[in-house]
Amino acid sequence: MRVPLGWLRDYVDIDLTPEQLAERLTLLGMEVKGLERWGADWQHVVVGRLLTVERHPRADRLSLTTVDVGAGAPLSIVCGATNIAPGQHVPVALPGAVLPGGRRIERVEKMGVVSNGMLCSGDELALTSDADGILILPGETQVGRELADLFGDIVLDVDVKPNRGDVLSLLGLAREVSAATGAPVRPPVIELSEHGAPTADRLAVDVLEPELCPRFVGRLVTSVTVGASPDLVQMRLRAAGQRPISNVVDASNYVMLELGKPIHTFDAAAIHDGRIIVRRALAGERLETLDHVVRDLDEETLLIADPVGPSAIAGIMGGASSEVSGQTRDVIVESAIFEPVSIRRTGQRYALRSEASLRFEKGQEFRNARIGADRTAQLLASWAGGSVAPGRVDTHPEEPERSRVAFRPARVGRLLGAAIPASEQRLLLARVGIETAEAPPGTRVVVSVEPHPLVVDPWAASETEAALDGPSAPAAPEVFVALVPTWRRDLHIEADVAEEVARVRGYERTPGSLPDTPMPEFRPSPLQVRDRVRRVLAGAGLSEVVTHALVSPGDVERFRASPDPAGVVDGEADAGGEPIIVTNPLSSQHSMLRQRLLGSLLEVVRSNIRQGREDVAVFEIGKGYGRVQDRPHEWWRLGFALTGAAAPRAWNRPLVMFDLDDGKGILEILCHEAGLESVSFEPLLGTTRPSAASDGDQATFHPGRSALATARVAGLHAVGLRGRIGEVHPRLLDELEIRADRVVLCELSLRGLTRGQLAPVRAAPVPRVPAVERDLAIVVADDVPAAAIAARIRDEAGDLLRSVRLFDVYPMPGGGRSLAYRVVLQAPDRTLTDEEIDGLIAGVVAGLERLGGRLRT
Amino acid sequence: MDLATLTADLEALRDRALSAIADVSDAASLDALSVDYLGKKGELTAVLRGIGGLPPDDRPRVGAIANEVRVALEIALEERGSNLRASELDRRLTAETVDVTLPGRPIRRGTLHPSIEAMNEICEIFAQFGFVVHESPEVEDDLTNFQMLNIPLDHPARDLWDTLYVDLPGHLLRTHTSPGQIHVMRSTPPPIRALLPGRCFRYEAVDASHGFEFFQVEGLMIDRGTTMADLKGLLDQFAHAMFGAGRKTRFRPGYYPFTEPSVAFDVECLVCGGVGCPACGRSGWMTILGAGMVHSVVLRYGGLDPEEYQGFAFGMGPERIKMLKHGITDLRLFLENDLRFLEQFR
Ligand SMILES: [Zn+2]
Repeated sequence: MRVPLGWLRDYVDIDLTPEQLAERLTLLGMEVKGLERWGADWQHVVVGRLLTVERHPRADRLSLTTVDVGAGAPLSIVCGATNIAPGQHVPVALPGAVLPGGRRIERVEKMGVVSNGMLCSGDELALTSDADGILILPGETQVGRELADLFGDIVLDVDVKPNRGDVLSLLGLAREVSAATGAPVRPPVIELSEHGAPTADRLAVDVLEPELCPRFVGRLVTSVTVGASPDLVQMRLRAAGQRPISNVVDASNYVMLELGKPIHTFDAAAIHDGRIIVRRALAGERLETLDHVVRDLDEETLLIADPVGPSAIAGIMGGASSEVSGQTRDVIVESAIFEPVSIRRTGQRYALRSEASLRFEKGQEFRNARIGADRTAQLLASWAGGSVAPGRVDTHPEEPERSRVAFRPARVGRLLGAAIPASEQRLLLARVGIETAEAPPGTRVVVSVEPHPLVVDPWAASETEAALDGPSAPAAPEVFVALVPTWRRDLHIEADVAEEVARVRGYERTPGSLPDTPMPEFRPSPLQVRDRVRRVLAGAGLSEVVTHALVSPGDVERFRASPDPAGVVDGEADAGGEPIIVTNPLSSQHSMLRQRLLGSLLEVVRSNIRQGREDVAVFEIGKGYGRVQDRPHEWWRLGFALTGAAAPRAWNRPLVMFDLDDGKGILEILCHEAGLESVSFEPLLGTTRPSAASDGDQATFHPGRSALATARVAGLHAVGLRGRIGEVHPRLLDELEIRADRVVLCELSLRGLTRGQLAPVRAAPVPRVPAVERDLAIVVADDVPAAAIAARIRDEAGDLLRSVRLFDVYPMPGGGRSLAYRVVLQAPDRTLTDEEIDGLIAGVVAGLERLGGRLRT
Repeated sequence: MDLATLTADLEALRDRALSAIADVSDAASLDALSVDYLGKKGELTAVLRGIGGLPPDDRPRVGAIANEVRVALEIALEERGSNLRASELDRRLTAETVDVTLPGRPIRRGTLHPSIEAMNEICEIFAQFGFVVHESPEVEDDLTNFQMLNIPLDHPARDLWDTLYVDLPGHLLRTHTSPGQIHVMRSTPPPIRALLPGRCFRYEAVDASHGFEFFQVEGLMIDRGTTMADLKGLLDQFAHAMFGAGRKTRFRPGYYPFTEPSVAFDVECLVCGGVGCPACGRSGWMTILGAGMVHSVVLRYGGLDPEEYQGFAFGMGPERIKMLKHGITDLRLFLENDLRFLEQFR
């Protein structure tokens, strides 16, 4: 809320600098987000009076003016605006003047004529949004005065929290200033002189929906002269962010800003029979609103209507036909209270939210319906010369008592962690207008109102305590009742009172302490595995990225979740379900929850390459999302993408580009870190090598360079890692406009990503006996997978096999290929004999021969 | 063969060998000389074969002379060998000299994302005070995200959270990590000291300080006597750990429907040190987080009796913490994943 300080001083004295005031209000919970010096950036801008306005001799679109600026001879100034005439008072920027935005005005020559300054528009002064015409000042404005002296002010930008609708008003903020400084509040003095026939003779109000409109106060002001408001009013409204319109409309806006009470004015001539009906809209009804949009009304909408039809959408916007215009003579003032939820919903349905509806939504002080009507009538009489008809039409003149909230000062202190005596608490509450009284015995304290009221009887509680403590006489509990001012709608329970005590007292007076309550039990962190993986991958040279979970439908379609082909990883959630769609997306680019990380990772690759990067190695640990029936389902996955140089380019190293094998290497480290056995691979897309891409994997991955990776938990049969790894299909790279030869892409499910713990390593003793190494080169047909050969070696060698490592692959001239393995054999406790070794190797070779291999000699 | 001849032969052999050793220029030739003169089939052995033809009385003398010759040759071989090794090493070192001003062989270096790192830092700091990590779903229901947090349907406070809704009835993308409070209270009996890091979503246009996806860390502490003063003390510790000891901090009243009383926690501006500058809106303070005493409504939805249990909750944005700490002025950088940004972190 924008609060002009000069205006605020109408309601409370302020002996602080604006900066001090801002700090005090902020510490009271009324955060001042900014101090704007309204008019501070007008330097050497004075009020001038136009003496002559003539056409420029050499330019049709320019005028040549002479202006009286008080001191010295009249200035001749060239001006391009068309709304000027002799006799008008206008703002004149003298040579050397500075305008908002730092613009400097100098003496210049325009088409052969010297211009000694500039006439200013409202826009150039940042006073109004009108950039076309010169700002015409009121006729009585004193010529020669600095504009800043006349219209300058300081405007506080106060962040009023949603629970404090009462402070969406100058009077409300004045109360907070009073709480901070102790200066008394001066509400506006409302004195009306009433004339003529009573209001009730010419105005009748029927509220058919008292639930939605608990009170409607109407007033009639006759014989108004619609025109401009007094300057001060216009400037105040402008400083507060409201555009002055006419004295009648300005009066309602002024009262809204002053009291927080939205007011609507009707041209009385447009209300048939002087009869207002507050009712819901009927199906098919339409209304042209003030913004000249014809709106189809729905039956949920509360209307202000007359016997002929709708006149306004209650609390939201008036109708064009009953708008106050220059011809209006008699004005009906509507000062009503509407049910907040209904206003909020209606505003949302019509996408119409205004300063008025914002205040209605937060709830209104009941008596303000009466005060607001009177105040508006008073201003109409004063500014528009209207005659106020005697009395009001009021559908609910009884005004409720102050509500009462019981509180225990001891409990307040216990919440705040500060022993504040009851007497001090009562004084603090008095500063925000909360009177307190000792609670009569039996008073219940409301601890909570939701989900259903929780009330306690402090007297019963103290008796129970006394019974437990022994025979000593029970002390009467200390309980008070807070009488809540009618404007406060946010105080309902004991804790609300505690907050008032705390904020008025000031948190700087509560020293901090460190908790001395019992510690919770140990709980393993769900982040442990994720963190370990992150650090390992960063150590391996990959950078972590965090991408949007919300992606485009195209991305989701391309990278749909499909259940893992061979079951889920132990303890991890399966990927699956229908994609979740955002029903009110900000843009189609971010309208669905992703199911896989692949699209996001490729986008990171694409954008970084576009920025000139040659190599990209990134990973992300993120969620996939889906819906299974009507339940959301989320799962954690690890993904990475590699492209470009596998090691940074350097003069002292041959350039090697990332390929599938680098990705596999990363999986090997992961398995080691996660306590998994060695990872194994099988072709992802089978051996059929389909040429036409069809669904998911086939469109994503290179048919001959993609694999399904699996690793089991060491010592257990459970699957610990499963995922797809491969080079991206060149056609997909083309489609996504990724300018790279090869991109390695992987997404996998890893045991523990969700919340698992790392299993402790089982360390084996180091054998003290020598190991035996044998190299075996096996020639096999091209379609025998390496994994089958290694598996056969393991099977045949049995327990004595320490390791088997492929060290060479060589294509044979006549077809087939040779795979060379180094086999390490070792017994834990003895040296193997030559016979044993030869026997084992012979068995391995025989096993390989059954696979169709032969020993290369 | 007589004594004199044999002695002369030995001396001649010694002289010849010493001169040959002196002339040798590489270790391999030196090894060959050693074998030639001192080996089993070497010259010295050959000469000594003549010893058998001497009278027995002369034999010890010749043996002594032969031994002297052997020792002399061994010393000469050892000295020469040592010299040769030293000069060969010198030659190797000279030959191996490189231009040490050339750059080295770079190692690929990965970095960790600042958003996640900030969450971890926050979790580590609070872990010192016994806080443990929990997580809760990102696709949440309206009940848990709002209503159980004392934000009824159609409440004006809902304006504080512009919400993205999804096509699951009653569900939305959580606007904050606060629904995690309910999940923790319902799953864990007090004493509770919990942290809830995670991704959140808002219907918010993207600019330098807003985004529709961001992270939050929620904190929750509940016990019989947990107070606002505890909150203040703990957050002071946090600010000192995160931004440096001695940083000034302040509490000021705030508003959240799920805490009562509610506060905002400010730290002395990291840019100007509290004097006032454009970064802090000339106030000298930067708001780090929102907090307060858990509202009785929330406690009750969490299954706790507000007459028995009380505590506090706080919520902060790890990106904001990083922005303040590292002088980052644009929130968008965190989700753009431009490696030129990410690689600055370590
Ligand atoms: Zn600063």
